[in-house]
Amino acid sequence: MADLKILAVDDSPTMRRIIINTLKRAGYNDVTEAENGKDALAKLKVHKFNFIITDWNMPEMDGLTFITTLRSTEEFKSVPVLMVTTRSVKDDIVEAMKAGVNNYIVKPFTPDTLKQKIEQVLGG
Amino acid sequence: MSVADTLQTKIQKEVVALSDSISDLVKSFRKLRSPLAESQEKVPQATNQLDKVTEQTEAAAHKMLDVVEEITEREGDIIKSLEEIRKSVEDGQTDGITDRIDSIIEKANANLNDAFTIMDALQFQDITAQQMDHAAHLLEDVEGKLTGILSVLGVRNEEGPEKPVEKRKRERAFDPHADFVDKKTDQRDIDSLFDETGKS
Repeated sequence: MADLKILAVDDSPTMRRIIINTLKRAGYNDVTEAENGKDALAKLKVHKFNFIITDWNMPEMDGLTFITTLRSTEEFKSVPVLMVTTRSVKDDIVEAMKAGVNNYIVKPFTPDTLKQKIEQVLGG
Repeated sequence: MSVADTLQTKIQKEVVALSDSISDLVKSFRKLRSPLAESQEKVPQATNQLDKVTEQTEAAAHKMLDVVEEITEREGDIIKSLEEIRKSVEDGQTDGITDRIDSIIEKANANLNDAFTIMDALQFQDITAQQMDHAAHLLEDVEGKLTGILSVLGVRNEEGPEKPVEKRKRERAFDPHADFVDKKTDQRDIDSLFDETGKS
């Protein structure tokens, strides 16, 4: 837990604060924010992260494009990604799976669900 | 050519010109039909989204108020208990103080949990922001089509040229189905999807 460096990607500043607070409650204190996929990629070039939580609908670069770009880059191919989004249509979930997400939560989420999914992804 | 023939030719030319004008007018009105029909659909969609924002904001506000009321009641109890403990200590009566302190700690922890409940409920802001972005997008679309219709009809803005709709629009990223309550797929079904592929 102490070693996990998380990148939290969401265009909503409120949602980023909620995610960061929820992660801290769960014991994950090393969290960096990014406001869209483009910002996230820029931060990935400079810092090392071993877990990514990302939204889908974001301006400049959405979550799906971000994940697709990530998975096509040798360096970030295997970084675990958890998608946290309002999109709940089954086709969207399948599309995200094909793009390479490791797990998926629909907003609004509970703190227990977020913690559980992180542990599942890390354990799996 | 006789006067009658000349007149007839003139009348024929005028009738042809009138027929061409009517034909052009009909074509212009046909061009209006599709954007008008689309606009008619989009305005109620925008209104529905705004109604959803009102409902879901109100529901979230009530939920938070319920929690705040419980917190303030407990805080009142905590303050009262601390005052009683202070008096007891001043009077040199320390029997049962540990139990009273334990009770305060329990109430304080309950308040902490409720504070987090409020924080979690604030997720409504992200969801309603997307609903409003969707409504704004629909209305911008309608505005664009109405501007197009006015242009076909040859109506000019008397106040002078306005910035075109396309240039005034800001980039909007939203889920048109974003909802605080209704989810199209349950978390359990999402989990099953991932279990099936062996990803979780």
